[in-house]
Amino acid sequence: MEVDNMMTKKTALLAIFSLAILLTIVYFGKMDPARGGVRETRETKIQGRVVSQYGPLENARVRVPGEDRYALTDRQGMFELSTNLPPGGKFRITAGKEGWFNNVQITSLPGPMGDIFLNPVYLNDRAGYRFISPVTCASCHVELTRYWDRSKMAHTSSNPMVLDMLYGTDPFNRQGIQPGYRLDNPESGGNCITCHAPSAAAAEGQSRDLKTILQSPMTEWDGISCDYCHKVRKVLTDRTKPSGTGAILERQTAERGSSILVFGPYDDVVAPPMAASYNPLFADAKFCSTCHNHFRKLDRKQSWEPAKVYTSSEWEGLKMEDESFLPIQTTFQEWQQWQRELPYNDANKGKKCQDCHMGWRKEMLPYDNYVVDGMARRMWGTYRSPQDIRPHHFDGGTEIQLKTALSMELEGEITGKKLDMTVYITNTNGGHWVPTGEPMRSVMLLLRVFDSKGNTLRMIKGSKLPPWAGEGNPEQGNYGGLPGAVFAKILQDKEGNNHVPFWRATRIASDTRIRPKKTVTLRFEFALNDPEDEPTAEAELIYRPVVRPLAKKKQWPVKDILMTSKVW
Amino acid sequence: MSHQFLTISIAFLLLLSVPFQALAGSITGKISVKGLRSPANVLVYVTKAPGLSADLSNVKFTMDQKNLTFVPHILPVLVGSTVHFPNDDQVAHNVFSLSRAKKFNLGSYKPGTTKTVLFDKPGIVELRCDVHAEMSAYIMVMKNPYWAVSDAKGSFKIPDPVYLDQHGIKGVPDLPPGKYVIKTWHEKLKTAKKVVEVSGKGETAFRLDLKRGNPSVLYK
Ligand code: HEC
Ligand code: HEC
Ligand code: HEC
Ligand code: HEC
Ligand code: HEC
Repeated sequence: MEVDNMMTKKTALLAIFSLAILLTIVYFGKMDPARGGVRETRETKIQGRVVSQYGPLENARVRVPGEDRYALTDRQGMFELSTNLPPGGKFRITAGKEGWFNNVQITSLPGPMGDIFLNPVYLNDRAGYRFISPVTCASCHVELTRYWDRSKMAHTSSNPMVLDMLYGTDPFNRQGIQPGYRLDNPESGGNCITCHAPSAAAAEGQSRDLKTILQSPMTEWDGISCDYCHKVRKVLTDRTKPSGTGAILERQTAERGSSILVFGPYDDVVAPPMAASYNPLFADAKFCSTCHNHFRKLDRKQSWEPAKVYTSSEWEGLKMEDESFLPIQTTFQEWQQWQRELPYNDANKGKKCQDCHMGWRKEMLPYDNYVVDGMARRMWGTYRSPQDIRPHHFDGGTEIQLKTALSMELEGEITGKKLDMTVYITNTNGGHWVPTGEPMRSVMLLLRVFDSKGNTLRMIKGSKLPPWAGEGNPEQGNYGGLPGAVFAKILQDKEGNNHVPFWRATRIASDTRIRPKKTVTLRFEFALNDPEDEPTAEAELIYRPVVRPLAKKKQWPVKDILMTSKVW
Repeated sequence: MSHQFLTISIAFLLLLSVPFQALAGSITGKISVKGLRSPANVLVYVTKAPGLSADLSNVKFTMDQKNLTFVPHILPVLVGSTVHFPNDDQVAHNVFSLSRAKKFNLGSYKPGTTKTVLFDKPGIVELRCDVHAEMSAYIMVMKNPYWAVSDAKGSFKIPDPVYLDQHGIKGVPDLPPGKYVIKTWHEKLKTAKKVVEVSGKGETAFRLDLKRGNPSVLYK
């Protein structure tokens, strides 16, 4: 009984001890202000009014700059803003509304505050406007410009591959190398500049020729520049544009001093260098639709049969007017279709291009709380949560983005002298079909199965990579004829040639790209010589930026990117 | 509230009072690797062994999110365990998986908040974050508690009482005598396989030499 007694004593002590620990944890847990919990926040309510020369403004967004919380004004222009600001100081309260320049009012707490007065953005677009070079923006937005400059979007007009495709050249500057838009259409400049050199395309009386544009001293014409994007006021449906939507620009030099007119996502920027106007369009995927969509109207009376390639809902989602339209690039519409079909409470609902293509990267850490650097930060910078900052890296067909774009799983089963392999490929991270963009892209599945001695097993059933995955030595990336599959969209011309450039295409031969969050299941069968042996399967998913036949003709030194590999 | 504490404390005590098993059939060993700096963090596991029919409601595994990284990169858990996914970062993350062993999507959630997921099917679960392409991690959902993760010297011991204890899995008996298949898993190392015999008396020790390559599936 002695022992028993000891045990109960020990147990009781332990119980008290663990209770004490638990209570301590709970107590300190509650004290921690970061967890919210118990801390009494002293709420201050600020009341005021937003007005313009025409009277009170409804639905203006009012906040303390950099803070999450904001208030909307009512029909009388009145707002009530709750903040945690301590009484007894002077504070800036800003307001912004689409179509108006952001503005600020100083208030001292507690006490009444004066009206916030907004000025309208008068529509006065000047086609002769000269865009500001990114070099200028870089003097204050140092890091942001650096990220942008490393992206392909920054150099869309001087991209040698684009020039080769336009002029029919190759990297050795040989002429007459097919395909080339000008070789086929010597009389026409082509519409390439609409998307590849949009600042020049929009400018009045400028050359439509990409080379001339590049040779001009106006560096701001290369690529999709800062000032171009931030002068976009609206995106409207416009069937005359190759994308079906057009950007409405507001190119003007601001009235106030030397400040720069910009539209942007913030309603709280009131800094002397910028004449900033809040515009919800910047947080909308539609913003990207003016270039990331490309259709071609076939010549008169021609049409093709979409039903052979797409389900009726997919075709509807691509939003071509009728069957005389050929979808070339459909990134935006792939995204829109995916989003539209999601139930309202789906975790992916509302995820847009900006979320995946303008987000933080590890190489940018530690997080920054400002969008300006140096002097500008000290003078006018607003402290913001990294959550509200968008590094402009525009990663797309890059290793970082591709490594997690797809995932793959393998399953095998041996029955007698047969091995059944099932390959599941899922579009995990793409917000559109993968690979999206230019139809010259492709993703290949390569499946190798061998026995314990390393001998390759013969495939009895299953698909093989097509000849255009490369003919010749597999070591050099020629995978045609090997077990596997390919995911791509193939453009075909009248004569039935595949992988033609978009201006020659008359139909889509096939489109096997993987839809967002969907899984493709592929089954294979291999012959086993020895049913007791344990075979191994190795699968790779490889991204190829330009299909072999085209890369060969053009002698482009393009590199495959390994997306993922799995072993069974 | 105090009622809850009492229940927790009692459960805590019950777990503590589980009698210690004699160290009979455990497996120890050492790993050496070619092509990697360290032999650490290799998962070594028994493919077929008795499962554990224990109450896993107090088990705690955590997959943290910090500086655009999942921590740890590889997390072995026992089937039936719940994993916590706190967001200790400064930006919102959207953790999800489309793996066949467990599909889930936690949606976008803010710094300072936590979500949990129950892993009820063995296999490899690949974690992703929808808006940060660099973020990926694996949750290895194990069929039985007989696994270990190698230390900095490459040593391991199956079962690994320290690891299991840390996560609240208690009372794992040693392996009954018999032949077992041991496999390894590491993201950058080819899976090695070995048959070992557990005698029932003390430890069975062996070496494993691993090479760079791709690991295979957990359970064929
Ligand atoms: C392709 C169009 C595009 C280009 C080019 C572009 N931006 Fe932006 N920018 C955007 C969009 C869209 C947002 C808003 C994203 C959001 O809030 O979802 C934005 C946001 C911003 C912001 C607000 C802060 C932030 O990080 O979100 C600043 C400042 C900015 N851009 C400056 C620049 C500068 C400087 C350049 C040139 C180096 C540039 N932008 C080039 C589209 C563009
Ligand atoms: C002299 C410094 C300076 C220069 C040059 C400059 N900016 Fe800014 N910009 C700022 C400051 C300061 C802010 C406000 C930062 C804040 O609130 O954190 C800002 C904010 C912005 C915003 C956010 C506006 C909003 O309401 O969302 C955009 C967009 C922007 N700048 C674009 C540009 C572009 C494009 C250029 C080049 C054409 C440029 N800036 C050049 C200092 C500058
Ligand atoms: C004015 C036209 C235009 C607009 C607007 C535009 N883009 Fe682009 N974008 C292009 C062009 C042209 C390229 C091809 C660049 C190249 O390869 O030379 C491109 C390329 C890209 C790429 C691929 C980069 C790579 O590394 O593969 C991404 C990602 C991208 N854009 C994202 C966006 C997002 C997100 C938006 C909206 C915020 C947007 N773009 C708005 C024209 C545009
Ligand atoms: C959920 C995240 C996500 C969203 C949302 C998203 N993308 Fe992407 N995007 C990706 C991934 C992952 C890739 C790499 C795979 C690929 O190439 O398709 C990619 C690739 C791209 C590429 C390069 C294609 C190539 O291979 O050259 C472009 C261009 C692009 N996206 C534009 C857009 C545009 C425009 C939108 C909005 C309409 C958008 N993305 C929405 C994740 C996303
Ligand atoms: C409707 C807008 C649009 C038009 C018009 C357009 N492009 Fe593009 N182009 C794009 C976009 C967007 C991309 C990037 C897609 C991606 O990364 O997959 C692109 C990519 C390319 C690429 C691949 C670049 C690379 O680095 O991989 C080439 C080459 C190209 N375009 C040539 C042309 C030529 C030549 C013309 C005119 C005959 C033209 N494009 C007209 C939007 C357009």
